[in-house]
Amino acid sequence: MTEYFEVHGRDGAARRGELRLTEPVPTPALVDDVLEDGGSRWHAEQSVPEGDDASLTVLPHRALPPGTERPVEDAFTDEYPDVAFPSAAVVSPTTADDYGADAYVLSNAGGYVGHAEAFVGALLSVRAAVPDDTALYCPAAATPANVATLAYAGVDLFDEKRARARGLEGFYLTTDGEAFLEDLGERPCPCPACRTPIEAFDRTDCAEHNANALAAELARVRGRIGQGRLRDYVEGQARHEAWLTATFRRLDQQYGYLEERTPVFRRNELLATTDDTLRRPEIQRFAERVTNRYRRRLDAPLVLVPCSARKPYSDSQSHEQFTRAIGYRGHIVSMTSPIGVVPNELETTYPAQHYDSVVTGEWTETEIGFVAAVLERYLERADYDRHIAHVPTEYREICERVEASLGIDFEYTVSDHPTTDESLAALEDALGGEPSYYKRERESATVRAIADFQFGDGAGDAVFGPDATTEGIYPKLRVRNGDGDHLATMVPQYGTLSLTLAGARAWIDSDAPTKRVDIDGFVPSGSVLAPGVTGADESIRPGDEVVFEGPKAFGVGRAASHGRAMAEGSRGVAVDVRHCAER
Amino acid sequence: MSQSTPDGYEKGRGMDAHNEVMREIRARNDESYDPTEPTRVWLDEDNTPDGVRNSLTIILNTGGCRWARAGGCTMCGYVAESVEGGTVAHGNLMTQVEYCLDHEADNAEERADLVKIYTSGSFLDEREVPGETREAIAETFADRERMVVESLPDFVERGKLADFTDRDLAVDVAVGLETATDRVRHDAVNKYFDFADFEAACGEARAAGAGVKAYLLMKPPFLAEPDAVADMKRSVRRCAGVDGCHTVSMNPCNVQRHTMVEELYHDGGYRPPWLWSVVDVLSATADTDVIVVSDPVGHGSDRGPHNCGECDSLVQRAIKDFDLRQDPSVFEEVSCPCTETWEYVMREETAYNQPLTR
Repeated sequence: MTEYFEVHGRDGAARRGELRLTEPVPTPALVDDVLEDGGSRWHAEQSVPEGDDASLTVLPHRALPPGTERPVEDAFTDEYPDVAFPSAAVVSPTTADDYGADAYVLSNAGGYVGHAEAFVGALLSVRAAVPDDTALYCPAAATPANVATLAYAGVDLFDEKRARARGLEGFYLTTDGEAFLEDLGERPCPCPACRTPIEAFDRTDCAEHNANALAAELARVRGRIGQGRLRDYVEGQARHEAWLTATFRRLDQQYGYLEERTPVFRRNELLATTDDTLRRPEIQRFAERVTNRYRRRLDAPLVLVPCSARKPYSDSQSHEQFTRAIGYRGHIVSMTSPIGVVPNELETTYPAQHYDSVVTGEWTETEIGFVAAVLERYLERADYDRHIAHVPTEYREICERVEASLGIDFEYTVSDHPTTDESLAALEDALGGEPSYYKRERESATVRAIADFQFGDGAGDAVFGPDATTEGIYPKLRVRNGDGDHLATMVPQYGTLSLTLAGARAWIDSDAPTKRVDIDGFVPSGSVLAPGVTGADESIRPGDEVVFEGPKAFGVGRAASHGRAMAEGSRGVAVDVRHCAER
Repeated sequence: MSQSTPDGYEKGRGMDAHNEVMREIRARNDESYDPTEPTRVWLDEDNTPDGVRNSLTIILNTGGCRWARAGGCTMCGYVAESVEGGTVAHGNLMTQVEYCLDHEADNAEERADLVKIYTSGSFLDEREVPGETREAIAETFADRERMVVESLPDFVERGKLADFTDRDLAVDVAVGLETATDRVRHDAVNKYFDFADFEAACGEARAAGAGVKAYLLMKPPFLAEPDAVADMKRSVRRCAGVDGCHTVSMNPCNVQRHTMVEELYHDGGYRPPWLWSVVDVLSATADTDVIVVSDPVGHGSDRGPHNCGECDSLVQRAIKDFDLRQDPSVFEEVSCPCTETWEYVMREETAYNQPLTR
């Protein structure tokens, strides 16, 4: 039962939260001032501390350092008393368990600093073993350079110990690494300690600066988590230390851990400036869903076009020109790095209209390989009769790779540049004789494609049925079933569907996979709180549309966290209610 | 004497686990050693109850510690220096002694008054050193002033010590007590006996007219620096309170090959103690009426007790100076900016955040 810690917001594995002490502490935080150590049981039997609401008390412990072998860990694993004050339990990766504490201390976490594989392994083990809504504390690990990556990985609590000790040893720490105090010329910092003249700036000052720099970096991290933009920062900042880059890459390899915690949409921009962006769960998930869930419903030749800087693509000048030339006779699919391929129906769906990337006219080998792989898988599933590629030169290499691997032939319609009169005329000519489809066909395909993408393969047909109609002006489409009941509304900002109660019922009555939250016997108003949740599907992601159901209520809303967090949580919001009915 | 023996005694899950792991770690060592050569021999000078004396120190290769073969102490790698097959016969042991006498003859100007014999086990355990050998060694060194022999407390019996006292040799038993805190000795060091066994061994030695030199271990695995220092200060005082124990040798742990400590060290979970911590304990216990000495092995290296790298040799010299003079003012001569870091470690290091520095 987590009483004194609450998660308020998430950005992937990172969380913004609060240690609920007499003076609340916003997290990720430095806890030096609020931490009380109950003492080591290696040298003395310690009595249960009295504890108090003003501090987080580390329960008496037998801390097991990195390198301890399993039999010794098992033999000396502690039981922890159930206490009524804010408490933390010391755990090691292989013996971590739910001890009912508010926070868990990763024993001797400083030993993992510099070792990406060991750190990621330890972190994942502990995170899997303790309830999601408890705080994770890595003692003596944080530096200004590593704290963003550690928070990104899912650590909530830190301390100044390592930074101060390094200062006393004569190392000046910054977000880009460390320097010998003796070698310091200019100090790139305006903190109070750094106002001491350089001649008088000693190791004590240096320790003070290190602590200041760490606190400042942590403030930045909290802000970034709040904006949902920590990853963008980490991709750049982590490059200053090899092990930090290795850490976030290894986390990318642990797709399950990150993807589970990654929201299905964000309000803010996703900035793609490195090849590492291609490994982000948001990007990988989009590619995975486009190639495994999305179903093509428009019977028309493929028209591959380049992406545009303006989003959604159809708002751009170039795409308006393509659309005119195509005249409802081709299926528009945009090729882009870092997203891969974006069928027209999903152009508003996160992150297709939320990213910005670096345009140089040349693609890296990684980008080419990624987009080619996605395009290949997409084409295998979408199965077109004709393939028209209205793309500039730098996209052709990708098309040619896919031609070779799938044994198809693209009809290339661009000479020089896609928006020249000559190119556009060639595109129009290529589609000469193809029948055109109706706008409502495209709109119906759009809401069904979003349903496929959002709920699962085949959901667009399973939930809405064969007779559903759309109304409203794209992209603000509404879906009604054959009886005229309003089922869903398209949310243009994120390219998702929000369901009505009738839509929620249609969803759970359908064969499509559902995301359900079981609740206790109450009727929620604004939100379903975590203590009221009795069970939640593990497939639920933050931001997902979910159905909640209990003895007294049925409704639909938006998930505030992933499913496991809802099920394990004992504090905070689980679901933001959209519609709810008493029963 | 208590019933504790290295063969039969099991102290619950913790000890089983330590032994299981230590056996496995030791099994990775495939070196073996010549039974006709001692493990080590060196010349030095030592503080004895009768004053400072030239010393000949012998680490006899006896086949090693019985306890270590069961698993044994978490920091001890000396079992690695044992011979293949496990036992060394009388003849070979005497050849080792001859080797040491030759070493002394070649390197010392005069014969040492003090002869110390360690075995990385128990010299008084007759399965390790037969009674015949013990007597022959006592006879070999009968013309010296004092002998120190290493033993676990179980094997300290007045009859065995009589081999020395009967030859008018002053004799001390060196007992690896490690700490006066049973909890630390059992759970962190993995040594099976209790402080009460040590007290009993001191009584037995006194009855034989012998003395006891207690060996303490500063900072076994799992203990944070301040906890380890407090444990040593407490332990020195408790030893000083036991009749028969006239000397305490308080030694900082080092990282030996094929040990649990080495595994922790490799994974960032262990740092040997600071030399400042040794200085702290020696200064704080200088008022006790026992001789307190320390012989930091591997000082200044990552695997040995160390400070910042700048001051290690100086501090080590001061410690050796203190060993002979027992005067804490020797430490006033040494200073280094790294004391601030050490003080920070002493204030802030805990069992769960150690080591705070490398």
